[in-house]
Amino acid sequence: MLKRVPHIILLFFVTFGYAQKKVKDSTKVENLEEVLITATRTERQLSSLPLPAQIVSKKEIEAVNSVRLSDILNEQTGLTTVSDFGGGEGIQMQGLDSQYTLILIDGVPLVGRSAGTLDLSRISVGNIKQIEIVKGASSSLYGSEALGGVINIITDTPKHGFNGNVNYRYGTYNTHDASASIAYKKEAFSIDGFFNRFSTSGYDLLEGDFLNTVEPFSNYTFNLKSTYDFSDNTHLLVSGRYFTQNQEYVASEELSGESKIKEWNAHVKLTHKYSEKWSSYFEFYATRYKADEFLNDSEELLFSEGDFNQLLIRPEIRATYNPTKKTSFIGGLGWNHETLERTDFSTKPEFNSPYIYLQYDGNPTEKINIILGARFDAHNEYKSQFSPKGAIRYEINDKISVKGSVGYGFKAPDFRQLYFDFTNSTVGYTVLGYNQVTTSIPELIEEGQILNVVVPITEFEDELRPENSVSFNVGSVYQPISELKFELNIFRNNIQDLIDTRVIANKTNGQNVFSFYNINKVYTQGLEFNGTWKINNYLKFSGGYQLLFARDKDAEDAFKNGDVYARLTPSSPSFQLKKDDYFGLYNRSRHMANTKVFYTIEKWNLNTNLRATYRSKYGLFDTNANGYLDDYDEFVNGYAILDWAVNKIVFKNYNLGIGVDNFLDFTDTQNITSIPGRLFYVKLNIQF
Amino acid sequence: MKTIKFLPLLAFFIGFTSCSSDDDTIIALPVESELIQNLHAPQEGGQGEPVYGEFAKFNFATGQTTTSETDWDIALRGTIILINGGEKTGIDDEPNRTGNGSAYIANGTLSSVTSVDTSRLREDAVNAQAIPTGSGTGWYIYAGAPTHLITPIAGKILVFKTHDGKYAKMEVLSYYKDAPANPDAYEDLDKYYTFNYVYQPNEGDTTF
Repeated sequence: MLKRVPHIILLFFVTFGYAQKKVKDSTKVENLEEVLITATRTERQLSSLPLPAQIVSKKEIEAVNSVRLSDILNEQTGLTTVSDFGGGEGIQMQGLDSQYTLILIDGVPLVGRSAGTLDLSRISVGNIKQIEIVKGASSSLYGSEALGGVINIITDTPKHGFNGNVNYRYGTYNTHDASASIAYKKEAFSIDGFFNRFSTSGYDLLEGDFLNTVEPFSNYTFNLKSTYDFSDNTHLLVSGRYFTQNQEYVASEELSGESKIKEWNAHVKLTHKYSEKWSSYFEFYATRYKADEFLNDSEELLFSEGDFNQLLIRPEIRATYNPTKKTSFIGGLGWNHETLERTDFSTKPEFNSPYIYLQYDGNPTEKINIILGARFDAHNEYKSQFSPKGAIRYEINDKISVKGSVGYGFKAPDFRQLYFDFTNSTVGYTVLGYNQVTTSIPELIEEGQILNVVVPITEFEDELRPENSVSFNVGSVYQPISELKFELNIFRNNIQDLIDTRVIANKTNGQNVFSFYNINKVYTQGLEFNGTWKINNYLKFSGGYQLLFARDKDAEDAFKNGDVYARLTPSSPSFQLKKDDYFGLYNRSRHMANTKVFYTIEKWNLNTNLRATYRSKYGLFDTNANGYLDDYDEFVNGYAILDWAVNKIVFKNYNLGIGVDNFLDFTDTQNITSIPGRLFYVKLNIQF
Repeated sequence: MKTIKFLPLLAFFIGFTSCSSDDDTIIALPVESELIQNLHAPQEGGQGEPVYGEFAKFNFATGQTTTSETDWDIALRGTIILINGGEKTGIDDEPNRTGNGSAYIANGTLSSVTSVDTSRLREDAVNAQAIPTGSGTGWYIYAGAPTHLITPIAGKILVFKTHDGKYAKMEVLSYYKDAPANPDAYEDLDKYYTFNYVYQPNEGDTTF
């Protein structure tokens, strides 16, 4: 890795030469510089970056025996997994919902957000080299969805020769995770195959109904990646991934069926270096996500079925120009083509969006690093977007540096918000996508289903605006000695044009027609603090904390103006609420913290770790029916999860692991479906 | 249906200060505060099917339900509240409007709404109820799955002009029988209104 980036090594010595010298005669501490690609689309040293970013290494993933992406992300500072009503587990970053964080594998996006959330538990971490997390709006490089930040999963690259490993983990609830990887590399050619099977019999937190909290499911991941070097300057990467999952789908005592997911990704990248200064990339990416489900009644007759079939095709060319060792320009030109077929869509919509971006990354002086970038996304269905970003880092001395960044992020309205045409068959309400209103409402009026139009359809003639935000991050890194490091980041995200639903017409059956519209102004702000203390090569402590305020500005005004009331019980008289009674957005905890201890006993070839994550109370629903989350609502109590893992290497190539996740056996059966209680597991990993 | 009379309030003397002579004393009737429990307002149909059925009609002056075609102020069926004023909105089985009633929804507590903003009063009209029906648009929120609860929105005070031109204000407390503190849409019977109201019996008096 380092071989390919000599200037990084240079920078490393310039920056850390002093610290290195000092360390030499004390206990030897390994301090390999971490490099990431997500923040700038060029390889950059993590510590020199002007943006808030973080790397989760393979070493950590292996030490904690994680198997799914959601497990490991949940333990990172400021990140928490949140479930949507479809059961998918997405990530909340800087207080922004999971639909506002872009998820990439090797730099290209995953699709398949049927209800907004991309389910992270569908991603196996068995073949991951590292996970790169960049916080703050990043649409200047990545376009739509990168409001809160970007999570990029970097897969393993093969080492020289023939090698591989098999890994098997068995745990509570009959949970099996088996994977195998085989890699071969010789001279110009490499190939890497990965296979994973995950299955679980699910669990049930609420006894007495006919439903399980999580129904049994199994899934398979196949990954094949190959590289070929035509010359020292020309490299080809071809990569394919296939994922399939089957889950039982039970809706009631009578109704049951199955839900299936099939997903594939194909990625080809050709890199060519023309000179020391110029290089270019040709990239082609395509992915399809297909989800089907059906329910049969007790007589095995089809009761309902649903399908979701999304396709993304993206060619992109990219060029980098390095006039000097420390200065880079990167520019890209690409095209997103996206289609979706879905139950309850009257049309098969198609998105076409060409885009262009440019970024400058340079060091005007030894101590200052500046990144300036911008991207333009044109679109056939919503307003075109211009996304600028700027970041600066100043190194005060070799112990302390400060950094700041401002960026614009947006999320395009999804297909559902534009084209949905859905009527609930049991209750009778209707949901229409924004673009669907002008055709569907006149039809419903003609059929005599509309009692009263609340919002005139002329309001739907303009285009729906993308949700967008401006994010600010200011931080500092302080490293008094090489073993000790503190990082602080203060953030603020101003989000506008959030898309929400409202009643647009009343129906004659007493129900309503809903549609989407831009309304809310929301902000999230807070601070994040991380500290690591590597006492020696055998003992490491780390801790992190996030303070968060996530609020709706209109709601703040309503409380300030005294327009909000509450009742102590649902049937007691109302009283007026004060400004301080506003709690904020749903599903946001004011405090989140984690602490971890990693300990290695070298003579026993053993390492062990203890991790704790905490999140303070949060509200899931407006339980007192005033439309806002206030101090008189019912909250989900704060909780802590403690995990313990131990791994021992035997006969050099065998790694045996045991552990307990959530060993205090915390559950909240009423509110939290994603925490099943105490989980024991054993693991065996064989390297060859 | 039970009627509990409590806290009869002394009325204010409107126009008292503007009266130049003190030999002309107006005798005002006291404002009436009442709690109505379990006013049953059943409906037929629903669950995606057309809704129909006779409305339960209520008179603020008597504090009683009534079957009279004319002497009623509000009519209730399910979550729908109609007023005796204006014209038919167009739903099935609604009563004829014979009076001068009108209404609006004020923000506040029952005690903080101290006067009627007559400029906001609306009659029922074709396709437009003065008190709208629908979650979040009128007096209640429907929680949807999984609880399916109908909960009166805190701070929504319904202000009425009665069929004979008097004023009343009302706060719905519960939609479930016996107004349980924590209702359960599966266990408790619904369409049973419990509400507080204040009735101003003096002609033309817009304060409470």
